[in-house]
Amino acid sequence: MKVFDLVYVIEDDPITSIITELVVKQNAAFGEVQKYMNGQEAYDALVALQWAEEVPDLILLDLNMPVMDGWEFLDAFSALQLPKQVCVYVLTSSIHPEDMEKSRMYKEVKGYFTKPLDGDVLNQMVQLATGGRA
Amino acid sequence: MDMNYLYEELDQLQKNQSVIFDFIQDTALGGLWYWDLHNPENRWVSPSFWRTIGYDPNALLNEAEHWQSAVNGEDLAALNAQVRGCVASQTRRCEQIVRCTHQRGTTVWLLCHSLLMQDDAGQPYRVLGVFTDFTRQRNEEVYAQELASHYGSILSNQSVYIIKTDAQGNYTYVNDFFYERFGYDSKIIGTSSLQSIVQEDWPKCLGVVGRCFAEPEVPHQVILRKPYRDGTVKSNHWEFKGLLNGEGQVGEILCVGYDVTLLVENLENSQKLLALTKQQNHRLQNFAYIISHNIRSHSANLTSLVKLMQLSTNQEQSAMFLQMLKTSTDKLAETIVNLNEIVTANSNANQPKESRKLRQEVDKTLEALNVLIHESSIAVTIDIPAEVTVNVVPAYLDSILLNLISNAIKYRSTSAHPTIALSCYQEAEFIVLAIKDNGLGIDLNRHRTKLFGMYKTFHSNEDARGVGLFITKNQVEAMNGKIDVESELGTGSTFKVYFNESV
Repeated sequence: MKVFDLVYVIEDDPITSIITELVVKQNAAFGEVQKYMNGQEAYDALVALQWAEEVPDLILLDLNMPVMDGWEFLDAFSALQLPKQVCVYVLTSSIHPEDMEKSRMYKEVKGYFTKPLDGDVLNQMVQLATGGRA
Repeated sequence: MDMNYLYEELDQLQKNQSVIFDFIQDTALGGLWYWDLHNPENRWVSPSFWRTIGYDPNALLNEAEHWQSAVNGEDLAALNAQVRGCVASQTRRCEQIVRCTHQRGTTVWLLCHSLLMQDDAGQPYRVLGVFTDFTRQRNEEVYAQELASHYGSILSNQSVYIIKTDAQGNYTYVNDFFYERFGYDSKIIGTSSLQSIVQEDWPKCLGVVGRCFAEPEVPHQVILRKPYRDGTVKSNHWEFKGLLNGEGQVGEILCVGYDVTLLVENLENSQKLLALTKQQNHRLQNFAYIISHNIRSHSANLTSLVKLMQLSTNQEQSAMFLQMLKTSTDKLAETIVNLNEIVTANSNANQPKESRKLRQEVDKTLEALNVLIHESSIAVTIDIPAEVTVNVVPAYLDSILLNLISNAIKYRSTSAHPTIALSCYQEAEFIVLAIKDNGLGIDLNRHRTKLFGMYKTFHSNEDARGVGLFITKNQVEAMNGKIDVESELGTGSTFKVYFNESV
């Protein structure tokens, strides 16, 4: 049973992006993965959506990216009117307390995870989203 | 005039009733003497006199002996001389201080008003001495004088400055220590005290004086600077107090101060050191997080890739993972090289500076980038006089010029004919090098704070490393300079490097 039918991976490093996709696909709770190179690309895709079923269930967001970084994406994203609630998790290499603190300021951000992403981290993501029911 | 009847009545009364006379001499006076001018040893001394000098008049066994020891002989002689003078000059009244020794041994100060009485022939034959005891006033006066001289010596000999000014701020009193330390003499009395203070501190001084007027008789503290006699400037801690005059107005300001130069200097040094340490600490901490971030992003990939390879059953997929693994290790190696470069820029802050001709260095860099400039058909203009020199760490200048000019080339305009203009000018203690391009530009509203940060890239340019401007900023700051940018998306950027020529 899928918890997240559609997952956006927003990540500028192509290798990390591919790895994330592969790891996510190994977990049955995660469905389709769409990759975006930076915040701007993902935002443009979200703005262009017409149907509720096209809206992702989960966004895995890197912070440090060119063009539009994770924070700018969150600012733009929080102003969007989407037909469905989207769960956003920060997935970053930064363990800087300021970054963790700042991410807590966004109500859209439901979790902060540091790389590497693996099966355990994915299970935590599911637990967090379902409140332990899955 | 109406009251004259009372005087007459009193006069009459005291003639007839001895109780009046007794009452006056007992209560109002320190004593009475009455003696025979022709035989001065024949005298009458009132009981009140004895009481004044501590004796019980009823218990006096040998009056003559007590008289001898109680009344000061010199004063008595002087009194007699004065009386004889009165006789000679035919005056009737005189006065003389007569000291007596109290039974307890203390001195009793008496003022004796003498009146010469005349016989029927008009010749003086008796003397009436009326005594007033002024011992208490006398002692108080002496005490006050002692106190004044005592404090006077304290004021002069302390290693604190004690000065007084009038309400206009002109010196009215200055202690010796103040004269000595600041090389003044008494000519400064009456001159403005404000003038002797470092001008920058005038508002501070006037502020405290204002508080002295608003809240008199209460000390107000301030630290002010003043040139010392040898020309060095000393910091002094002062306590100002507004002193009220008889009319309840602040008439004088008392200022007590001491030298805190050493304390102030130590404090300033500690604060500077603290600020520097804080700044360094903050930088180091950020640096540690950045290193951690950059290494982790690659190591995380390596970890994941190894796991994926272990699970992989597909030969083709394994080959792809291996290729990705190679790319990741290359990137990790590159990251470490970059970090090394940054650490080097940060740690060699005290490299010796040399004078370099700016124009010559710019030409050299342009020469090195000649192929790129030519390929991209960039029009370069240089407006830097040949004689302008900058004081720099030569390796840093090379790196700064190379980085900024290559950025201008890299982010050149794709729509217009690309240009780069280099110029320089003087601003305060800085020689400013401006590098202006008409390229892509940067949205400073979005990126200003992170422009010079590490691993921040703003265009999806593949060979952007995200360390160039970070290193440039570090190198400029290591030479006590600064770097600034003006830019607009689509119009171009101007980077300004400030070379500090004062140090």
